Amino acid sequence: MADTVKKVLDPQLDRRGFLKGCTMAAAALGMSEAMIPKLVEAAATAERPRVIWLHFQECTGCTESLLRSSHPDLARLILDIISLDYHETVMAAAGHQAEENLHATVNNHPFILVVEGAIPTKDGGIYCKIAGKTAMDILAEVAPKASAIIAIGTCATFGGVQAAAPNPTGAVGVQDLVSGVPIVNIPGCPPNPVSFLGTILHYLTFKRLPALDNLNRPLFAYGRRIHDHCERRAHFDEGRFVEQYGDAFHKLGYCLYKVGCKGPETFSNCPAVRFNDVDVWPVSVGHGCIGCTEPNFWDTMTPFYERLPMVKIPASGIVGSADKIGKTVLGITAAAVGIHAAVGIGKRLIKGKSSDKA
Amino acid sequence: MATYERHHCWSLLLRLFHWMFALSIIFLIVTGFYINTPWTNTMIEGSASFPMATMRYIHYIAAYVLSSAVLIRLFLYIFGNAQERVWDILPITGRNLNNLKMTLLQYSYISNKHDERLGHNILAGLAYLLTFIAALLMIVSGFYMLYPESAFWAKWGVMLFGSQQFARYLHHITMWWFMIFAVVHIYLCIWNDCTEPEGLISSIFTGAKFKHKA
Ligand code: HEM
Ligand code: HEM
Repeated sequence: MADTVKKVLDPQLDRRGFLKGCTMAAAALGMSEAMIPKLVEAAATAERPRVIWLHFQECTGCTESLLRSSHPDLARLILDIISLDYHETVMAAAGHQAEENLHATVNNHPFILVVEGAIPTKDGGIYCKIAGKTAMDILAEVAPKASAIIAIGTCATFGGVQAAAPNPTGAVGVQDLVSGVPIVNIPGCPPNPVSFLGTILHYLTFKRLPALDNLNRPLFAYGRRIHDHCERRAHFDEGRFVEQYGDAFHKLGYCLYKVGCKGPETFSNCPAVRFNDVDVWPVSVGHGCIGCTEPNFWDTMTPFYERLPMVKIPASGIVGSADKIGKTVLGITAAAVGIHAAVGIGKRLIKGKSSDKA
Repeated sequence: MATYERHHCWSLLLRLFHWMFALSIIFLIVTGFYINTPWTNTMIEGSASFPMATMRYIHYIAAYVLSSAVLIRLFLYIFGNAQERVWDILPITGRNLNNLKMTLLQYSYISNKHDERLGHNILAGLAYLLTFIAALLMIVSGFYMLYPESAFWAKWGVMLFGSQQFARYLHHITMWWFMIFAVVHIYLCIWNDCTEPEGLISSIFTGAKFKHKA
């Protein structure tokens, strides 16, 4: 039996846990049950691909969510089907030994590169250094030799919180710096471990990466909008909304649209796959989606409890909601129209009807 | 005593365009506000009322009317009559530039002279062109939000807007242009109708304007 009490990494993955993990991944990939044996076979017999996992500007939350999923089978499965040659959080080696492992793999073997975290580019990239080298240099050295790159988390894909305006370190995602190597983006803050596992298993089984959308996200996980698969959708269509957190409607589980849920503009499988093996996700526990799988979500999805971002009028310091600014401009327009009409009428009264050319 | 001649100015298609455009936009603005901030809260479960779904449905019907209107106008900008074609209102000829200047002077009460012209004055024409372009933006961002999973809209939407959220943001801000335009537009139509007895307002129903006999 899988050890669900002692939540530690266990290299001994039993068959039941193994099959369970493969089945979850197959479900996430939208594959038929008949495909599961193929996945299992590929996961069990293929040579474990070597994986180099680079950490740049990040919080390690993606790794945490991946390896400390409440049910350890997923983490075990991931560690069982890949050979994690370099991962700063979990590797045993340290210092020069760790660096050696990295170079040995990069120079001598085919490998998959996983990147977690954004890469700062400003001032020569000095804002993130590991072993005396900038993140930019490390990526430039490792990435071209990878057979494929998986950017995990919103930082590695789109820059994440570091890239939020005004982006002081010039942080960017992997796809902004690397070309010529296939890149899969698995955004999210953090992303669902199943989406990562599904991508790896797809690669092992079919020897190619899964189909991607226009932002290089696997379609099996990011092909559909949260809103269109949300369990609270009926409340939206029937017009039952939470007006305020904690109100009676909130307790009844109504739609979180009016308190700023970004489900209508966010692509992810959260409502279907859910998190932590206990079948929850933000909306199911009463908090709106914050749109963490979308580009620039720190800029475009904030304020998190409003529907739309604030309008900033450049060089004026004016910040307000679109409707507030719109109303002001409309009011000024109406006033101008009134003044224009009054001037016209006044002029007529003074000059009399004589100016009439009729 | 001035004598007037009746001139045919706007084709039936243009008048059809105008009212499809104006009416659909009124519906789009009202339902658009509802979509942004649904001001009703049903509270009763299983009541068989679908206010949000209904408002969105009306929004999309109006959206298709607007899109058809825009297609009609696009056709008329190229193949319409002399007043309807796009170069009639572009400030590219000396005569058109002069009309723009004269209109500005007249609207600011500096001059009383009216530069006679059968079609739109250049200032109006440019405002209409801008509104036409704003409508295109509404259509593109709207269809991107409506069909997020279609390969075509997903590709172009991401290329143009980056994300659904940004499309929605632009869609919402641009709505304000139509309201501001409508206020000024209706006011200036009335103003012109009072200033120049050429039958401007009825022209958008009848297609005819009245001009001084030469
Ligand atoms: C002048 C024309 C239009 C106006 C004024 C308008 C206005 C609006 C507004 C204010 C919203 C709410 C956005 C928000 O703040 O959340 C909206 C949403 C939307 N509009 Fe429009 N719109 C127009 C044309 C169109 C067109 C041509 C389409 C094409 C199909 C369209 C499709 C949509 C869609 C899909 C939504 C999102 C609805 C949802 O997420 O539930 N709109 N519109
Ligand atoms: C009761 C309301 C309205 C009246 C009486 C009216 C009247 C007119 C008139 C008389 C013209 C021709 C003006 C000229 O020759 O320059 C015109 C043109 C136009 N109006 Fe309106 N209008 C109304 C509402 C609207 C609304 C709500 C909109 C859109 C938001 C709109 C959009 C336009 C456009 C785009 C044109 C230019 C037509 C073209 O492309 O050639 N109108 N309108």
